Amino acid sequence: MNAILEAGGLSRNLPGTPPVSLVTDVSLAIQPASFVAIVGPSGCGKSSLLYLLGLLDRPSSGSLRFQERDMNSLDGDERAQIRLANFGFVFQFHFLLPEFTALENVLLPMRRLGRLPLPDARAKAAALLTEVGLGAKMDKTPDRLSGGERQRVAIARAIANDPVLVLGDEPTGNLDSQNSARVVEMFRALAHDQGRAVVCVTHDPDVAAAADVQISMLDGRISGTDVRR
Amino acid sequence: MMGQLPLLGRIAARHLAGRRRQTLVAVSGVAVGVGFFLAVSAMMIGSQNDFIKTLIDAAPHIIISDELRSPHPQPGVEVHKGAAIDLRHYKVRNEVRGLRGWPEILRAVNAQPGAIGSPSLTGAITLRSGGREEALTVIGVDPSVEEKVSSVADKLRTGHLRDLESTQGGIIIGEEMAQRLGLGMGDVVGATSASGKSRSMRIVGLFKRGQSQLGPSAGYVLLREAQSLLGRPFIVNRIGVHLDDPYGAQPVARRLEMRFSYKAESWQERSADFLSLLVTRNVIMYSVVSAILLVASFGIYTVVSNSVTDKRRDIAIMRSIGFSERDLQLIFVFEGLALALIGIFAGWLLGYGLMAILGSLKFPIAGDNQYLPLDRSPRQYAIAAAASLLSGVIAAWLPARKAAKVDPVDILRGAV
Repeated sequence: MNAILEAGGLSRNLPGTPPVSLVTDVSLAIQPASFVAIVGPSGCGKSSLLYLLGLLDRPSSGSLRFQERDMNSLDGDERAQIRLANFGFVFQFHFLLPEFTALENVLLPMRRLGRLPLPDARAKAAALLTEVGLGAKMDKTPDRLSGGERQRVAIARAIANDPVLVLGDEPTGNLDSQNSARVVEMFRALAHDQGRAVVCVTHDPDVAAAADVQISMLDGRISGTDVRR
Repeated sequence: MMGQLPLLGRIAARHLAGRRRQTLVAVSGVAVGVGFFLAVSAMMIGSQNDFIKTLIDAAPHIIISDELRSPHPQPGVEVHKGAAIDLRHYKVRNEVRGLRGWPEILRAVNAQPGAIGSPSLTGAITLRSGGREEALTVIGVDPSVEEKVSSVADKLRTGHLRDLESTQGGIIIGEEMAQRLGLGMGDVVGATSASGKSRSMRIVGLFKRGQSQLGPSAGYVLLREAQSLLGRPFIVNRIGVHLDDPYGAQPVARRLEMRFSYKAESWQERSADFLSLLVTRNVIMYSVVSAILLVASFGIYTVVSNSVTDKRRDIAIMRSIGFSERDLQLIFVFEGLALALIGIFAGWLLGYGLMAILGSLKFPIAGDNQYLPLDRSPRQYAIAAAASLLSGVIAAWLPARKAAKVDPVDILRGAV
């Protein structure tokens, strides 16, 4: 099967004297329907790598291909459009927009993409929230939700536009073990039941253990790849 | 693309709803700016229009008088044009004062579209009553025509211009002069002219006091009365011209002067000093008022700038979801736009209210209750709205550029 995301010799330096190297010469391929965990000590560059893979940041050198398209040649608006239609992000601090209800937060990417008419989008957002067990709390604003609930809203929002790639940046970093386990289970389902590629940067051994592929990083480089399935 | 605007607008609205107090302050700033712009400009433009109307209607739009801008050239100079002739010490021919051939001039005036001419004779007489004497500039007119040419009729406290025709020896003088002479309506007064003629006249009307254009010592009589009193039968020394379009007075005056060589003075020429004063007044008004609107836009700048700073996390998350730089810039421009629009609307109401209050104020001037002349034209509302909208959008656009430049990675990395 063809990889949906392919990085070749990806590097990212911060300009300065001397330049700081965040990511150095990383090559990897992400397969559809696979759950990939990137692990490593703090400051090893795993989050920086995730931002590069997620088109939030541009590499200093190296190539990045998404569905066999070169991503480096695209301008900011084109990259934003690809993120909107194909990627979903889940962050450690479940960045929800505080003025909007859970339902509105999930609706946001759908309305921006504009593929579904509003009533359909609403129905889909409600279905997604019900799926993550928040059917009764759709109209609450984030400050009325617990940390675990917010993270589930963030996951529902991440998959609102049916992305082929879901990117997690320490998605369980702020959750208790019960909520963590639930999120891990969701991520596995996204990969195995729904056929999406899931890439997760994590410190959490439970997340790493659940992944199909574990990529270890050290000092900005890949130090090992462990394929379990 | 256009489909995104309602969504971006909604996000902007939520941001504003989350900072009510600042929003209220910024909106009030715009509202006060717009409101006072409307009130001040209504007064300024209103009084200016009133002033110009007074200028225009104080006297006929064009006055043809028996003056020449330069003396007639000597016949010798006429005959030998361009020759080296210098005539000196010649006997100056005694010219009879008055408009020569005035019926022809009057016909020419009345032939102009929308023009009416009123011939008059002005001269000096002395009014005498019980030992008191007052000098009077007497103006002989044809009341039915003069009514159409000047606003004299409006300035009468009592009586009508037409009463001159119905009363033998009728005269209209100012209130002040009547007071000085100790006379009132219907009283008889002796009039003597420089030529020695004398007769008694009856007061049939009084002017209101404080008519600077008429002067305190002017009086009206019938034209033929003036001609006989002043001993100048059939003479007319002034033709006042009324035009339907007073702003076209200058070219008409020029044409008449070219043709008859008598001085024809338009109201613009007469009031050039006042008109240039009005330009200065307008410059002052618009600069003060623009300053008010500019200051109001500072409020918008502050709100939008704070909003951008506070919403850096939201900006990062929206960028990661796939909102473009332009989307985010628009969200914050919309915030400014919304503040400006609400402010403009509130300002319109405020301005309307202020005008209603100003319009109801009574000012007793020279015994008359007068109201402020206000210009309530929609044009001022439109100007205020356009100026606030423009300054508001610019004030929002400056900080909104910052929103577009927020790097989501910086925020995500340092997120707490």
